[in-house]
Amino acid sequence: MSDDPVLRARGLRKEYGRDEGLVRAVDGVDLDVAAGETVAVMGPSGCGKSTLLHLLGGLDRATGGQVWLTGRRIDNLGERGLARLRRSAVGFVFQSFHLMEELTAVENVELSGLLAGRSPRAARRRAEELLDRVGLADRTRFLPSALSGGQRQRVAVARALANEPALVLADEPTGNLDSAATLDVLQLFDSLHEAGQTLVIVTHDARIAATADRLISMRDGAFVDETRLTGGTTGELGALLRLED
Amino acid sequence: MGRLLLIGRLALRDLRRRRGEAVLLLLAVLAATTTLTLGLVLRDAAADPYRDTRAATNGPDVVASGPSDRLVGLATAAGVTEHSGPFPVAKAKIQAGGRTSDVQAVGRDADDATVDRPELIDGTWTRAGGVVVEAAFAGALGLHVNDVVVLNGRSFSIAGVAVTAAAPPYPQANCYFPCAIGGGADVPPGLLHNPGLVWLTRADVLGLTDSPTYVVDLKLADPNGTEAFIAAHDHLQMKSWQEILADATDVAKDSQILLLIGAWLLGLLAVASLSVLVGGRMADQTRRVGLLKAAGGTPGTVTAVLLAEYVLVALVAAAGGLAIGSVAAPSLTGASSGLVGSAAPPPLKLSTAAAVTLVALIVAVLATLVPALRAARSSTVDALADAPRRPSRVGWLIRVSARLPVPLLLAVRVAGRRPRRAVLAVVSVAVTVSGVYVALILDGFLTSHPPYGGYDDAQVAALRHVLLVWTVILLGLAAVNAVVITWATVLDNRHASALARALGATPRDTTVALAAAQVLPALAGAVLGIFPGGYGLFAAVIGITGGDSSRATLPSPWQLMAVVVATVVVVAGLTALPARLGARRPVADGLTAPG
Amino acid sequence: MQQEVVLALLAKEPSHGYQLRARLRDALGPLGDGMNAGQIYVTLTRLEKAGLLAVEPSAAGERADRKVYALTADGQQRVAEWVAETGWPKPDLAEFHLKLIAAASAGLADPIAIVDTQRRELLRRLRDAQRAAMAEPAGSDAALLLEGIVLRLQADIRWLEACEKNWIRRRSAS
Repeated sequence: MSDDPVLRARGLRKEYGRDEGLVRAVDGVDLDVAAGETVAVMGPSGCGKSTLLHLLGGLDRATGGQVWLTGRRIDNLGERGLARLRRSAVGFVFQSFHLMEELTAVENVELSGLLAGRSPRAARRRAEELLDRVGLADRTRFLPSALSGGQRQRVAVARALANEPALVLADEPTGNLDSAATLDVLQLFDSLHEAGQTLVIVTHDARIAATADRLISMRDGAFVDETRLTGGTTGELGALLRLED
Repeated sequence: MGRLLLIGRLALRDLRRRRGEAVLLLLAVLAATTTLTLGLVLRDAAADPYRDTRAATNGPDVVASGPSDRLVGLATAAGVTEHSGPFPVAKAKIQAGGRTSDVQAVGRDADDATVDRPELIDGTWTRAGGVVVEAAFAGALGLHVNDVVVLNGRSFSIAGVAVTAAAPPYPQANCYFPCAIGGGADVPPGLLHNPGLVWLTRADVLGLTDSPTYVVDLKLADPNGTEAFIAAHDHLQMKSWQEILADATDVAKDSQILLLIGAWLLGLLAVASLSVLVGGRMADQTRRVGLLKAAGGTPGTVTAVLLAEYVLVALVAAAGGLAIGSVAAPSLTGASSGLVGSAAPPPLKLSTAAAVTLVALIVAVLATLVPALRAARSSTVDALADAPRRPSRVGWLIRVSARLPVPLLLAVRVAGRRPRRAVLAVVSVAVTVSGVYVALILDGFLTSHPPYGGYDDAQVAALRHVLLVWTVILLGLAAVNAVVITWATVLDNRHASALARALGATPRDTTVALAAAQVLPALAGAVLGIFPGGYGLFAAVIGITGGDSSRATLPSPWQLMAVVVATVVVVAGLTALPARLGARRPVADGLTAPG
Repeated sequence: MQQEVVLALLAKEPSHGYQLRARLRDALGPLGDGMNAGQIYVTLTRLEKAGLLAVEPSAAGERADRKVYALTADGQQRVAEWVAETGWPKPDLAEFHLKLIAAASAGLADPIAIVDTQRRELLRRLRDAQRAAMAEPAGSDAALLLEGIVLRLQADIRWLEACEKNWIRRRSAS
């Protein structure tokens, strides 16, 4: 692993409105994410974590501050530069999946590749590989309406990985999923982590947050706490039950 | 009764909430109804004044001309109740205000005849040295009472201007002498060309020529039996009042045909625009439909409410079209001067109002029935969930598009998501272009030399005016259509565009894609509009009017190319603007849009 | 009644028995209605015997419910240990709930810090339980038990977040 952080942010700010109506959705955030790390940002709804994710991925423009992705500064890029960035360096997973309803699973995944300029055959092949990797090899030709929530999210994850991005950004990936589907997605993220993928997950679900190496608490647009979840009481499973009183 | 009121109230409330769209719907149907009204009113505009003139002047049922000895027996022929004449007629050349024209001069003294009493609209009747001029002829030559004119070298002063039902207004004429109407410069010598009608005293007429012919006006017991009467006397030259009426309304008839062509095209275009507008609205209306149904409304009630809105719009459009049409009609009826009552605006007949209203209702129902039924039959749950209409999947298009460069890939997929809308775009462009094609031919027709139908400059101008009117309305409605379709497409695709950008498409890719998704159907529509569209329309027009297609000059390839290019440019521009505006906004905003 | 809770309630200032009972009632609301009236005096006596409480000298002949109790030095130390402790699962939530109230009123510690510390601990346990659950074959007995533990931890973490929100609001209102 190189020393350079995959993602770095300094003094990131996003403000809406003016004067009395001024809302600071993101209020001076600093962040470093090393390669291969999984970082979870937790906070109550309205704390600005989704806005933060949009800023980190270039989906929205910051009011102030700087962001570097794989060493390149992205907050001052034009829309065309951001588009190229999204093609190659970043993959997104959204809470409401955002799949194209009229495309099959494999067509949804290969779209990333096609937009990046791969040949149709190469894009299709990679799409099928990825769908196999997320466990949907038998449903490649299904439309999203024929897939369960968990399956749809897995298609979205496959799509995010299509162009081998340096960073995957996930916004409430289990927000619309039931408990069993959440477990599926957890396992998927775990396997991504094992494979060395850098992940930043924004969530208010403790289960997803607990899979991260680092957990950052966010409140009112700012980071208020940071915890390393690795280490600590790992392995002391007996402490989970009070078998004697 | 209560249910009807409820339906009406719901419909009104919904229309008020969506004022912009209601206005667009109104404009679309209004264009069609106005043009139709103009066409129908024009048909009445000439016929009625002629009938009024006929009644006011006791116009003849049959006009017979020839040598006086042959005409003598007619006064007592079977079926004849009254007669006037025989009057002498001389052919002459008139010089007035620097212009020369052929005339036929009828000799009538001041004693009022029983049949055919020309009505003076200015001045007095003939006197020695005084000539009365037919009103349309006077208008064409710019003659007024007390002007001095020269007939066959002799001066006369204009005593009066009159209208009659015994002959059609200038430039038409009853040919008492061999004459030709129209035909321009290649009129065989010896034939009168577009002769005007004047009246002189008998003495003055006999002084103009030594070989007069004679004309007698007859009234029959059965005014509708003119055909049989003429057949019974086929050795004489006769003209029935129905033939005179046809001649009198010639220009108006051509104007009417032009307007009816325009009305048809506009009707088709209105159906297409309404389908687009209504189809788009249906998606927004599903939630209200769901609420209605959840509250116990049957599918019948729901359909009734939806249809009620469009029926209301159609009725308002019909009323508006009738009003605008009847007010605007006089500007197009200039060619019917020379008849009594032509100055007043033509009255609106009940049959016209009924026809226009019926057409408006049919257009509205045609365009909205299918979506209304579909909305009514939709499941209540779906409707309450307010899910926007799911995009269609056209499998082969998706497969093919994968091989295209990114902007075209996205463009094809955008168009494929709403195939019905793409078809409507093609149809509306095709209808418009075929209209323009026919308009170009007709305009060429009218401005060719020699002028068609023997019309003079003023009348040709009037017909071109009519052509221009509906061409402008057609283009205007097509523009409205294009704007609505392109805006609907951009709005519909906000989410898909944002998603494509989140996956790596540049803003230029999405802008070009949205524009191309409109341009491709427009291009197809433009080509289809020329062939078979315009071609077929022109053939239909020729067939209906029985015209002579050999004189038609088809538009040159350059003109056609210009039409196609103009269509493409306009559509591309109309889409590119909203698309570019949307592409400048951050991706995150677009992702939250419905879709 | 948890002994440590009673000790913590005395951390602010010495109190009568009936005052302690009243504060408990307020803190527990309707859930405290089932509380046995005499239970608190039993606990107070036990704590006195253990040397964690002392009865302040009072006028001779006073009744038991008029006694004034105060913390001893041992008692204060015991309270401090209890506040910092993060053991889980608790049989019911009342103990943690009262810990926050007592700590806030006596100035023993910042209740929000207590919540954060507890939450961190629970998240670590959640991570362990989840990993263990994923390592087990799906549908096995162990996996089922672990899933139950995970879900309970998740629920408790959610409650802790609510506590945090509540105490932040109280702090900014004061």
